[in-house]
Amino acid sequence: MELSPKLAMKFEKLQTSYPLKRSALIPMLMYAQDEFGYISDEMIAEIARRLDLNNVQVEETLAYYSMLRRKPMGRHHVQVCTNVACMLKGGYQVLERAKKRLEIDHKETTQDGVFSLEEVECIGACTGAPAMQVNYDFYENVTPLKFDRIIEELDAGKHPVAEPVTSGALHDRHVLETPLISRRWGMKDSHRLDVYVKQAGYQALEKALKEMTPESIIEEVKKSNLRGRGGAGFPTGMKWSFVPKDSPKAKYVLCNADESEPGTCKDRPLMEMDPHQLIEGMVIAGRAINSHQGFIYIRGEYRYVLDIVDAAIAEAYAAGYLGKNILGTGFDFDLLTHTGAGAYECGEESALMESLEGKRGYPRIKPPFPAVVGLYGCPTIINNVETLSAVPSIIHEGGEAYANRGTPKNGGTRMLCVSGHVRKPGIYEVPLGMNMKKFIYEVAGGIAEGKKLKAVIPGGSSCPLLTAEEIDIPMDYDALAKAGSMLGSGGMVVMDEDTCMVDMARRIMHFYAHESCGWCIPCREGTAWLRKTLERFHAGLGRQEDIDLIADLAKNMLGRTFCPLGDAAAMPTISIVQKWRGEFEGHLRGRCPYKSAGALVGAR
Amino acid sequence: MPDQKLIKLKINDREVQVPQGTLVIEATRRIGTEVPSFCYYPGLSLQAACRMCLVEVEKAPKLQTACTLVATDGMVVRTDTDQVRQARKAMLEFLLTNHPLDCPVCDKGGECELQDMTYRYGADFSRFVEEKIHRPEEKWSELVYYDAPRCILCFRCVRVCDEGMDVKALGVGMRGANSVIIPNRGDHLECEECGMCIDICPVGALTSGTYRYKTRPWEMQYVPTVCAHCSNGCKTTLGVRNHEILRANNRDLSGINKDFLCVKGRFAFDFTSHKERIRQPLLRRGDKLLPVSWEDAAQAAATKLKAAYDAGGKEAIGFIGSNRTSNEENYLLQRLARGTFGTNNIDHHRTADYAGLLTALGDRAAFSLLTMEQLYQSKAVLVIGNDPTNQNPLVAWQIRSGIRHFGTKLFVIHSNESKLQRKANQFVRVAAGQEPAVLKWLAHEEGQLAPELVEQLAQLKAALEAQSDVAIVSGAEISGAALATLVAFGSKLPGQSRYMALGDYSNSRGAADMGLLPDRLPGYAHVDDAKAREAFEQLWGSVLSSKPGLTAPQMVEAARSGQLQALYVVGANPLVHFGNPGDGRGKLDLLIVQEMFLTETAKAADIVLPAASAYEKDGTVTNTSGEIQILRKAAEVMGPRSDFDLLRILSHQLERQGLGKAFHYKTPGEVFAEIRKAVGAYNVPLAGLLAGGAEATHAEFARNGLAHYDVPVGLIRSANDTLFTSGTLSRWCTMMESLPEADI
Repeated sequence: MELSPKLAMKFEKLQTSYPLKRSALIPMLMYAQDEFGYISDEMIAEIARRLDLNNVQVEETLAYYSMLRRKPMGRHHVQVCTNVACMLKGGYQVLERAKKRLEIDHKETTQDGVFSLEEVECIGACTGAPAMQVNYDFYENVTPLKFDRIIEELDAGKHPVAEPVTSGALHDRHVLETPLISRRWGMKDSHRLDVYVKQAGYQALEKALKEMTPESIIEEVKKSNLRGRGGAGFPTGMKWSFVPKDSPKAKYVLCNADESEPGTCKDRPLMEMDPHQLIEGMVIAGRAINSHQGFIYIRGEYRYVLDIVDAAIAEAYAAGYLGKNILGTGFDFDLLTHTGAGAYECGEESALMESLEGKRGYPRIKPPFPAVVGLYGCPTIINNVETLSAVPSIIHEGGEAYANRGTPKNGGTRMLCVSGHVRKPGIYEVPLGMNMKKFIYEVAGGIAEGKKLKAVIPGGSSCPLLTAEEIDIPMDYDALAKAGSMLGSGGMVVMDEDTCMVDMARRIMHFYAHESCGWCIPCREGTAWLRKTLERFHAGLGRQEDIDLIADLAKNMLGRTFCPLGDAAAMPTISIVQKWRGEFEGHLRGRCPYKSAGALVGAR
Repeated sequence: MPDQKLIKLKINDREVQVPQGTLVIEATRRIGTEVPSFCYYPGLSLQAACRMCLVEVEKAPKLQTACTLVATDGMVVRTDTDQVRQARKAMLEFLLTNHPLDCPVCDKGGECELQDMTYRYGADFSRFVEEKIHRPEEKWSELVYYDAPRCILCFRCVRVCDEGMDVKALGVGMRGANSVIIPNRGDHLECEECGMCIDICPVGALTSGTYRYKTRPWEMQYVPTVCAHCSNGCKTTLGVRNHEILRANNRDLSGINKDFLCVKGRFAFDFTSHKERIRQPLLRRGDKLLPVSWEDAAQAAATKLKAAYDAGGKEAIGFIGSNRTSNEENYLLQRLARGTFGTNNIDHHRTADYAGLLTALGDRAAFSLLTMEQLYQSKAVLVIGNDPTNQNPLVAWQIRSGIRHFGTKLFVIHSNESKLQRKANQFVRVAAGQEPAVLKWLAHEEGQLAPELVEQLAQLKAALEAQSDVAIVSGAEISGAALATLVAFGSKLPGQSRYMALGDYSNSRGAADMGLLPDRLPGYAHVDDAKAREAFEQLWGSVLSSKPGLTAPQMVEAARSGQLQALYVVGANPLVHFGNPGDGRGKLDLLIVQEMFLTETAKAADIVLPAASAYEKDGTVTNTSGEIQILRKAAEVMGPRSDFDLLRILSHQLERQGLGKAFHYKTPGEVFAEIRKAVGAYNVPLAGLLAGGAEATHAEFARNGLAHYDVPVGLIRSANDTLFTSGTLSRWCTMMESLPEADI
């Protein structure tokens, strides 16, 4: 079929960029959709032909990803987020406004084909909630009024100014903050190589390549007590040390930039304002495990971030920080960005690898673990953006110094994105182990509008929720585990006294049902069932026995699903029923006793 | 394969010893403990998706999936705790939420794994009060229907289509609870239509176009028999109600093919009830064939044969047998020719040179003939000629399975592109007809071949020389002297070489083994071998001719020229296969045909005797790899008689006319007993056969002195059937005619 020269060139490049051709599939679909607005039968055949696949292989991969579509949408595709952080700040009001203003419903297109509307899951703008995207542009702190203005401008053929950086990333530093990996944020052109180099950039790489051995790099990272910032908190140095040294296979360094845990939006500014720090961290990781190829898997919604990282990679190649014989040391390392296409599950490490191989993002059976059998069946380390971004600092200042920034076994600083009902939603860098209450009331400015605190999601919506009484604890992996929750991905969502916890449970389950990949029975059917029951319950059609049923179904999922997504859906649900059972009882009287933020029946 | 070091684990307090590498789910099955599962399917990749097989393992914090857990020494597993029972119940409760529970109208009702599991492990009530996801049923092809709500997404169908069939026609659409199985052409399927997906489906999500809504599973009788189509001899279980075949499958995984069947084995049985089936004997009156009584037909056949014999002598009568009739029927037909009429004018449409292969192997045959199981387990496979995917689907399946399970190396020499080459380590493309020359080079490095080809062959040879065993599978392209060259090459390989010659039809091998050959007695002894002749003469009380007879093409030519006066045809269409268009029956005075349908040859006959199909008779057949299996009568069709009956009736009539001796076998079993005595190769143990398995014929053929064997070039001819044709028979398979893929 006829492709624009630009797309044809892009295809040619993608087809030859990966060790395995099929890996180009999802990016090709995304770029094709950018040009044509959707994926046609002809495009499927074209891409299948180019990648030696059959149609059904393309079709089934495409069908998995929520950003990819088989029918044309509007020229301006308006995507309103109503996930937890946005919901608390009026996301549903924006959605309602959008439906009225555009006179279309979810996943519909205006008759003139100019606008289409979609209610979407967390887009990683929680500290700027409520947020929406028009195509790839972010608009944050949206009000119905601001929404109208954006639509009017688009209608007039203008391009309303999108958010330049993630809202809440830039702010006056609080005295309790200890900026380390975010220290360059706010500097002019901090994403550029020259600025980065002036700020001691790539010195850690030089040290790692010239003064250290792979073993000593891993040793240093072990000493730093750095633990995975993506959510699970696995010790990074240990993970790296699992890569077999004698394997004749290629080894890969993967950066998980599929940030999509609701409430979490720290990787986005880390990449948009300091991409070189990440690149440097990845090259050092490559050296540590003797890998010569890295990939950064960036969620599809973050297209402008991907462009920034691509530009930084190009700069790094030009300056000799990437490519052959880096800094004259003989070490080679190549780095490629890779776009996702809308799937929370692809944040799970093995699902991400499947996705990067051009398949549906189904998780893999473990063992074997990625360090032994990962991408393309080769030893692979996969780390979160924040984790890899900390590596240059660790090498630079030494593992011990880094470790001392936190608490025992919880080294370093932590990026925290706090959203919801706080006075100062934002992204803060604080030492690991800071007291949560102190953080909420001092760093984040306390509860907005002088209200009382009701609940906290400590680190993304998959964590069990904490009551106001439970938050006087240090924020580190172990203390939170002791409190029955998790530090998670650093996405803290704060709820005030007027929040309906049934609605919160409903919205959380709505997300996991939407994102369940469908691979295993308990997660696939459990999330869908719970979503329906919670919707009905919140709408006032609940029965007494539903309360126990909800908790019981969640428990039937817990620990029995193929991957942690089932647990992620079960844990907050169980905690809400347990801790706010009274609110469920309150709903039995036929209506939500709160001025509910969420939609009632029919919410999708 | 798991290596053979044994380890010990404890399952529910019972100590179990299993080879290292065994999965816990297999270890539990070994002691008869059922761990339920939907997605686990032996031979296919592991999924751990259905979570039904969760078990408790000591020291593991969470329940573990027994289907992915490898047993280790000292492991302590419990499958019977409250926690495990509760988990199973919960999984089934989840599964049933979006399942329509339309069991009363579901084809699978009564043999549904979901029903069984729910009955055994599920709850007796439902807590689900929400609306179920509904989707309309989809027709994907004439043979495959998909009902998404019933689907439990175990992905067996997707895996068997991809991993097993290498067709990849199925995928998964959507995500989460909305996930569905999708076909490869948007709203329909374009594939090999094997139906593996239907039979592997644990529920009624994929149903069969030919079977759906016809019956309930408990209303059928199940008859295990052998597929009537190609030469691979797949076991198939026919579901029969009121003597009518309603479906074919092999869900009990028995037989040489385990769960494999191709489109023909699974769906092409409808010829049995085709409306054009001949149901009465027909007698020519002028230019018309008119129905007559059995008595009249038998009398007429005997009288006319006797008259022809009296007029022209034994040399004026010829017999052409079938590739599809049973061993017993073939044996009787050649007894009729040799014993009753004293002629060696007997042959059949030969599609593989079995005699040639046995001759070439000589004494080596005892350990060099390849069975289907050995093919699967071979370290390396060389395929020369033939297109197994189309012509010998089980052979292709065995090769693919070997590649998947044991990393078998595959090498293909062919004059055409074929699907199998996708899996080949090396594919050598040769010109059509060049195969013998290529073999000559491989065996002796002789002959003039293009340098590029020589280079490829050298590479192939080196690769084969590195293997510890090689399965050599050859098509009709290789016969006679070329087969000898092939064996010469194979025997020079350092490893063990085994051979399989591929024929076309369900009893092609049996036809040759039973002596439907003008120069060979049953068991391949030459007709001039006095000792061999004597044995049969004693058995039959007849005098046999030592003079080789005419081949099938020669008989048709002799009919045209007038040399042959009478031709007796059983289940064959020689006027089309060997004759020239327009020649018709030539100058034949008498043409008698035993047939199911009015083929061109039958239409030209004086007498047509309606014959039963392979699904309507008892007996044995031998597949292309020389494995004998039992045919069991499944359907009862009004009118036709088995060829066994027909030949018996004729022998009695002829005796009354003073010609030969009547056959006094009461059942095919009695004939088989005689075969076992007369043909050493067939003296196989009966236990395996009776249990529904296959028994490889002994390689005693070689003793019969086949030296100096050769076969004229062109005598061995494959009909090159496809997946959707089955020689003459497929013309009366309405189902196959309806498939668009059949036209491609």
